Amino acid sequence: MAFLEIDGLKKRFGNVEILKGINVELEKGGFLVLVGPSGCGKSTLLNTIAGLENITEGEIRVEGRAINDLHPSKRDIAMVFQSYALYPNMTVAGNIAFGMEMRGVPAAERQAAIDKVAKILQIGHLLQRKPSQLSGGQRQRVAMGRALVRDPKLFLFDEPLSNLDAKLRVDMRIEIKRLHATTGTTIVYVTHDQIEAMTLATKIAVMRDGEVQQFGTPAEVYNNPTNVFVADFMGSPAMNLIPAKIGANGSELSVVLDREARQPITLSLTGAPAGLAAFKDKQVIFGVRPEALTDPEGAERNGSEIATADCHIEVVEPAGSDTFAVTNLGGKGVVARLRADARIQPGTSTPLAFNLSKAVFFDPATEKRIL
Amino acid sequence: MSAVTSPARQASSGVSAKTINRIVIYGLLALFALFYLMPLFVMLVTSFKTMDEIQNGNMLALPQSPTIEPWFKAWGETCVGLTCAGIKGYFWNSIKMVVPAVLISTLLGALNGYVLTKWRFRGHTLVFAMMLFACFIPFQSVLLPMATILGSIGRFGASLRNATGFNFGLGNSTVNLVFVHVVYGLGFTTLFFRNYYEAFPTELIKAAQVDGASFFQIFRRIMLPNSMPIFVVTVIYQFTNIWNDFLFASAYAGTGDVMPMTVALNNVVNTSTGVVEYNVNMAAAMIAALPTLIVYVVAGRYFVRGLMAGAVKG
Repeated sequence: MAFLEIDGLKKRFGNVEILKGINVELEKGGFLVLVGPSGCGKSTLLNTIAGLENITEGEIRVEGRAINDLHPSKRDIAMVFQSYALYPNMTVAGNIAFGMEMRGVPAAERQAAIDKVAKILQIGHLLQRKPSQLSGGQRQRVAMGRALVRDPKLFLFDEPLSNLDAKLRVDMRIEIKRLHATTGTTIVYVTHDQIEAMTLATKIAVMRDGEVQQFGTPAEVYNNPTNVFVADFMGSPAMNLIPAKIGANGSELSVVLDREARQPITLSLTGAPAGLAAFKDKQVIFGVRPEALTDPEGAERNGSEIATADCHIEVVEPAGSDTFAVTNLGGKGVVARLRADARIQPGTSTPLAFNLSKAVFFDPATEKRIL
Repeated sequence: MSAVTSPARQASSGVSAKTINRIVIYGLLALFALFYLMPLFVMLVTSFKTMDEIQNGNMLALPQSPTIEPWFKAWGETCVGLTCAGIKGYFWNSIKMVVPAVLISTLLGALNGYVLTKWRFRGHTLVFAMMLFACFIPFQSVLLPMATILGSIGRFGASLRNATGFNFGLGNSTVNLVFVHVVYGLGFTTLFFRNYYEAFPTELIKAAQVDGASFFQIFRRIMLPNSMPIFVVTVIYQFTNIWNDFLFASAYAGTGDVMPMTVALNNVVNTSTGVVEYNVNMAAAMIAALPTLIVYVVAGRYFVRGLMAGAVKG
């Protein structure tokens, strides 16, 4: 039995089904990230866990106990909101203590709890200020403090970093990860930022249109996406999804990539997935991540399936830590990730190494993974 | 101005056009200000003049021998109808009516706005539309139905008194007026607060719910403390309207000791015992206007700020 279980959860507004049967589980001390584009239902799902929205069908259980009919304050949860939702009329201390005050905790105990949290988050010097006198990062800390002080079973974060600037976002991301490591709390976290999802999560649920597309560890979701949507959504730069044809040379399959005004590239596959045989002479979507398409010197030495092919480089983007090169395969711009000092010139033909053991194939009709 | 004109000409004609604009604008503003301030000025100087001076002097002239006597007379001695005890009793009547009416209607409006924006229910737009409609109902059209209702309330109060020896204020003219003004003001106060709370971040309410605050705890601890601007706007608006109301006051409390200030003032001016004491009348009118004036001076700053805040964002 998992710590948090969401079982067949459905949510309807009139005839519109917002959540179409969600099944997710999280172990104690886990960090579940709900990720997806806006409007996918991830915030609604979080609100149903918090009890701020009712569910139509299904059950939400914490430690085996159904909580879906309990009032938010009775669920033993704490929530950090996107806008921080600090009460503007109260001081930082007042904000942190409000929940305890509502539950009738004596003043001395409240003060002790405030001091403890203030120490963890290093906001001791801010306690007597009003939220309007704080910077974005400080407000974020106070919002986390308000959640921490309750010592709840479950923490809910609703896009807590999306209002911060890029640098502060990275800092706070690390802060949250450290907090999770030190306190060992169970967290459900909503974001539309796949990097946040990858870096923070122990489990990721990728959502679209009210359905979980894939549920698994970050590595599973990243390396073994179940469909085109997940493959495209996770990772930056995104996975190259190239229209390709499956060819065969005897029993050995190969993938054929068309090129404009050039010979197609044919890469033979030694470890092709079993399902791929059925697609012989048919179209597939060939998915390869930019880091699996690199300069031969940068390719994984002990990769089992490295195939090299000359590619015409159209654009080169030096990004400092890496150099990205864009070539055209199957009628699409394809991004390769090269070492920063790779010698590469736009407009030239350069050999690129395909790491085929990391490549994935999708059925263009169903957009599902071919296994 | 075309781009080919020389820079020098551009500058000179620009300056003169601007100056003329300024003169016209400020001239007009000064004229309007004068137009509005003139009656106030006449009232003020007249209230400090003796009767001799009023009868023989110029209306606009400053008082030759200023006296505060008319103010005392208006406050404590002038005749309202048949009783000659000044307007002080009626002034307090008005205060006793205005303060509860303003507070009750404002608080109910805030509560309505809170429910209509943060605790939405099926048909909330219809309810709001109907409350808005209350703003457009002319006073005159409710006079008779309201009289009927107040009559029933009075009869109910009378039977309560027979049964318990106490009528709980039902049938009392001041209570009646408070009731009328609360009902009539509810449309406006609800409109003000609903629009203000519409922009009020809903996440704060969610956070308070998670924190375990109840419906009224959220209202009292989160909503009200953050509603100062619109609260002031509503109070000023309601105070001015209710204090200045003459129609309801004369219809439901038009005689005897229960008259509010406005009705009493009318009676002061209409009471003829020989000579018309303009200075006393003017002083009485000034006293009647004073509370609204004070409210504007004290809270006017918030009034403008609140109107803007309510209109643009919370």
